Formats: sequence, C-alpha cells, structure tokens
Amino acid sequence: MATAYSGYMGKVMLIDLSTQSVSEYPWTDKDRELFIGGKTMAAKILCDHFTGKETAYSEENLIVISTGPLTGTGAPSSSRFNLSTLSPQTGLITSSNCGGSFGYHLKRAGYDALIIRGRCAERSWLEIKNDKFVFHSAEELWGTKVTECQERLEERVGHKRFGRLVIGPAGENLVRYSAVVSEERAAGRTGVGAVFGWKQLKAITVSGNHEITVHDPEKVKAHCKKWYAYLRSHPLTGNQMPRMGTAGLVSSMQMRGLLSTRNYSAGQYEDFEMVNGETLAEEHNIVNKGCLSCPIKCARTVSVSGKAVKGPELETLGLLGGGIVNNSMENILRWNYELDELGMDTISAANTLAYAMEANEKGLWDNGLEFGSCDGISQLWDDIAHRRGIGDELAEGSKRLSEKYGGKDFAMQTKGLELAAYEPRRAVGMGLGYAVSNRGGCHLNGGYLVILEGLGLNVDSQTPKAKADLTMMFQNLMEMISDSGQCLFTSYAFFPGFLMTRPNGFITTAANKIFTHLGWAIRIINKFPTALALHLPVFHHTKRIKYALGMPMTFGKYIRNGERGYNLERYVNRRFGVSAKDDSLPKRLTQVPQDPNNPKTVVPLETMKKTYYAARGWDKDGAPTEKTLRKLRIIQ
Amino acid sequence: MVKVKLFGLFRLDTGLKEVQLEAGSVKELYPLLLDAARKAKPATTVTAADIDGCIVMINGKQGKKSSKLKDGDEVMLMSPVCGG
Repeated sequence: MATAYSGYMGKVMLIDLSTQSVSEYPWTDKDRELFIGGKTMAAKILCDHFTGKETAYSEENLIVISTGPLTGTGAPSSSRFNLSTLSPQTGLITSSNCGGSFGYHLKRAGYDALIIRGRCAERSWLEIKNDKFVFHSAEELWGTKVTECQERLEERVGHKRFGRLVIGPAGENLVRYSAVVSEERAAGRTGVGAVFGWKQLKAITVSGNHEITVHDPEKVKAHCKKWYAYLRSHPLTGNQMPRMGTAGLVSSMQMRGLLSTRNYSAGQYEDFEMVNGETLAEEHNIVNKGCLSCPIKCARTVSVSGKAVKGPELETLGLLGGGIVNNSMENILRWNYELDELGMDTISAANTLAYAMEANEKGLWDNGLEFGSCDGISQLWDDIAHRRGIGDELAEGSKRLSEKYGGKDFAMQTKGLELAAYEPRRAVGMGLGYAVSNRGGCHLNGGYLVILEGLGLNVDSQTPKAKADLTMMFQNLMEMISDSGQCLFTSYAFFPGFLMTRPNGFITTAANKIFTHLGWAIRIINKFPTALALHLPVFHHTKRIKYALGMPMTFGKYIRNGERGYNLERYVNRRFGVSAKDDSLPKRLTQVPQDPNNPKTVVPLETMKKTYYAARGWDKDGAPTEKTLRKLRIIQ
Repeated sequence: MVKVKLFGLFRLDTGLKEVQLEAGSVKELYPLLLDAARKAKPATTVTAADIDGCIVMINGKQGKKSSKLKDGDEVMLMSPVCGG
C-alpha cells in the first residue's frame, strides 16, 4: 500500500506459516501518522487481531516484526527493529527490541513490517529476497547454536550481506525466556524465541535492493551532521558510553546502593570491583562495536577461550555477578557467551538462578544450587536450553517456580518478567516503572527513572514526589524513540552534558530539586501536548522525522504519539486480564527496607501507583478510561 | 593515610586505580589527587572540576566534599556516569 511519506517502504506483509502463503496487509498513511512504526505499529496490529483468548503457543498468536521510519535513513543509532507477540513469560503482548542490521535489510527488501501467523507443518526457515518468499526445511539447522546457525545460513544464501533472525536450542525447546538473535545482537527479553520455536520457525533471512528515500535530502544531511556532532561531543554519548559501555554503570550503582546483590536482598556487592566496567575495560575489552549508523558504539568485544565474542552488558554483569554472589569476571564472560549461543535472555536466566539458590537456602526447594557456588553453571545453562533435569524446571522462570515451590516474595519479577539489575529500593521511581511496565519487570519500558535517581542526575531517590508523572513522561518519550526505529541511548543527550559532569554545580543541584516539583507541569504538558508546537534544541528526534519523512512533527506531537503507544499496549493487555493487582513488585522491595535502620528504603508503590493512574487517565483498576482512549484516538 | 580507590573515566583517563594519601578531609584530598593523576599521566586532561564532580564514598557510605577523614579510611571516588 503506497505511502506519501518518505522513510517508509509502504508495504506490510502477512505471512501465514500454516499455509505458507504471503499477502499484503492493509496499512494506510493514517495508520502511519497515528502509530508511526516499531512497537506501537505492532500493538495496533495485535489490537486489531487479539480478542484476549489467544495464548503465546497458538496458531492465533501473531509475531509482528516492525521497523521504524528512520531505520536505514542514516539517522544516528537508527538500526533498531522490534518484535511483538504474546509473551510465554507474561501471557501479555510484549515487545522486544534489537539492534544489528535486520531492520535495514528488511526495508531494503521493500517492507516496513512482517506479520507472522500460524505454525509451520515442519521445522522451517524463511528466506526473503525482495518479493520472493521461500520456505526451506530447517531439519539440518535444528539444534544448532546461534553462531553456527547463522554461518550455515550464509552458506545457503551464498553471501553475508543479509539480515538474519535465528533462535538457538532454548527457543526450540520453549524455554520461556529464550531470545531471537540477529548477528551478535538479541531481542532477548520476554521469550520471543520460544514463540518462534513453537511455530517451528528456526530463522528468517532477508535481503533486497530497494532504495530507502528521505523527504528532504539536503536538510536531512545537514541535520544529520549536526546531530552526530552533538552526540559525539556529549560527555555521555561521546565519551562515557563509547569507552565503558553500559558496564560503566556497575561501580556507580554500587555507590548508590542500586546494584542488585544476592537476589536483591542488598544493593551493594562487596566484590563489585572484580566484576565492574573498569575491570572489563582494562583487562578484557578488545574493541568497541556498534550497530549500523551508531556513533555511540556501546558494545564490547571480549575473549572467551581465545575467541573474540560479544561482551556482557551491565545487566549481565550485575545479575551474574553480585546477583548470585559470583566474583569471577571470567565466569561472566563465558556464561554471557554461552547464554547468547543457546539463545537465552541473560537477565531472566540469572534472576531465575538466583531465585532457585535462595529457595534452596530457605529449604523450599532442594536443588543443590547455592549463592557463590559457580561450579556446573555452564552445564546448567545447557540443561535449561535442552530442558534436561533441573534445567527443565528452571526453563519456566522464577514466577512459575515460586508458584510451585513458594517464595513469591523473593521471585524478583513483575507480570512474569524478571527485573533488570537496578535495585529499586534506592530508586523508587524505577520501582514504580518496573511495576507498571506493560511488558513486566523492564527498566526501559518502565521509564528508566533511575537515570534521574542517581545514575545521571541526583534527584531524591527515596521520595515519591513527581515520580509518577516523570515515569509517564519518560515512558512516552521512549516509546516514540523506539517507534521511530532509534536506540533509546540517543535520548541520553537530552540532558545537557554539564548536568552529568558537574553534579555538584549550582545548576545541577537546583535541577535535582526542581524535578521533584515538576509533577503539575508534566500533567499540563500531557493534557495539552499539541500546545508544544516546537522543536527542542537538545532533542533532535522531532526535526529528523519532519525532514526525513515529510510528516509534520513537533515535540508535543511526538510525546502524544508516545502516549498513544503506551496506552494502546495497556488497552490490549486489559483484554488479557491485566489489572492494578498485576502492577506489583515482590514484597521484598515494598515491605523490607534495604537499610534496616531506614524505613524509607522501600518502594512506596501504592502511593505512586495511584498518582500514576490519575496522571495517565486510567481508572483505579489501571484501565485507560474511555475518555483517554478517545482522546488518543485508540477508539473512535 | 587514607586509601583512595578510583572508578569511572577518571581511572581510565589516568590509569590510577588506587593511591595512599594524607588528608584530613575530602576537600583536602582533591588537590593531592589531581597531583597524583598528573604524576601518573602527565598528559591527562582531568581537571580539578572533574574531581570535584565525583561521587564519594567513605568506608562504604555516601560521603561529600566536606566529610572529614581519619587515618585508615577507605575513600572511593567515581566520576559520574550513566546509561543502561
């Protein structure tokens, strides 16, 4: 369906695995204006199909693989693509975002998105080349790990310049937290790999030679130059992130009491120096890598058994370090590689292991796993991926295990998805974010308020004041950044550099105080966003959409679109039964103070939730009201 | 003497992981640390303002510029960083 907007390819394809048929899916410019791309576009498609009776493992479950309109247009860090489906972890619609080059290649093949339904009659992989869709048997690929699978696909396709999505043994065996992997990057969270596995779809390759056009090439070029220069000059995106990657956060989190330790029973790990970003940078990092068109280059490359492989992110360092009381960086590097190769989410794997260790310690489940005891973990990953022995149980994740063995208070998950590495009792806004996040215990979908609460700025991390409103604002912004196909790290430069590098300066100190008084202002902005018909000098994203797509865009419109996306996901999840009781945290975080001498070191969740619902225009049960849905044009 | 451990880009920029210094407060520590950084790496671009912006921990607890130090204290200094 052709489009008047540049950036888009104008085609969305519906692929039925059961019948091996392919057809064009209707998607109009009106849809593009309202739902942009990425996860919101996917949510709209899922909204139009799901009734609330579908399950993750069913032919009716759809996988939507969507790009953003900026993907492939040369905008900084714009190679992201999105996978949305019903998650086997949460039973809700989810989105899993990935870097690499698949999104770019999908657009070069002529498509903005793929919608996959049904189930292959036999194990298959799908080859897409421009308008050719060919199903191949995957019998010979089944059982391969992700690198071997991708190498074999290169042999089959005959070259290396194509996009690829593959699953490893974990996805094949329906491990609930299995990933879809593309090159070295992963759509790791929420078990998208298991949905591929259930559909007997081992891989997708895509290539083509369509041109990705932009509306105003001259303005795009000039704007691009300016934006790249800005990102490179910013202390975060131009210095700290390239040099230390996300791993650089470990020490900072330790000092703020935010480093989840011993299954989130503490916020500081005594051996953190052995598993922090400095040690990774000084002793293990070989080279920095980045996705296509990314100046930030946050990825690390390390050596495991003499082989150069992707290094761990902060979450993996935190959760496979202090989280299970392991002080060996070598262990983490190896486990990270093994989990990637098997196609498993490191966050959920680590948290599930930590739960099992604590359940054993407390006498609830005699499984032989102990904090600080790291022998046999590599074998355990393999057992999980192949569902052997105790691995078969661990493959279910911490929520289901706690329902079987007890210990719900320390199964560190929300809605079935395990939490990221930030211990929220020292960043209560992050705690709210985990609880209300549409996809479960996710720091990014939760608004990532921890950036204000100690990791970027130093806003009072224990006060609930304005946290609900700030969470909503950040969620909306991040939603739209994802929708346009960009990496969320581009938003870091939204904060002027001196606020980060001069935390004790007068302006920074004042800003830290002002943030907790901004609730009312955010609500007004959220009520009348279109009044903000402007472009902010530090937020380049809006102008880029205008120049590249030819679509009218302002900051106000941008955040309204993000708000629409967030509410749309919530609206669909309501059909699957989500309510206020699901916006929760394990009692450890809400009832047990991190510092026994400071009762404030818990997450005051219920207080913040009430304010959050009101700010969002949701009722007491967490449902978007009809008025809200109409305002956002989710319903007519 | 107090033991000073360095983290973040300050450490990467200077190569200094740990130094022993004589200081009665964090404020007194800063110029000594700048000297140590310049000695360790003469070409370092680290400035007094960079050190002033560091997060401070003293014996595992949050500290500040005005915090007093005593013999045997362990001070951790982290240049501000974010991203996840």
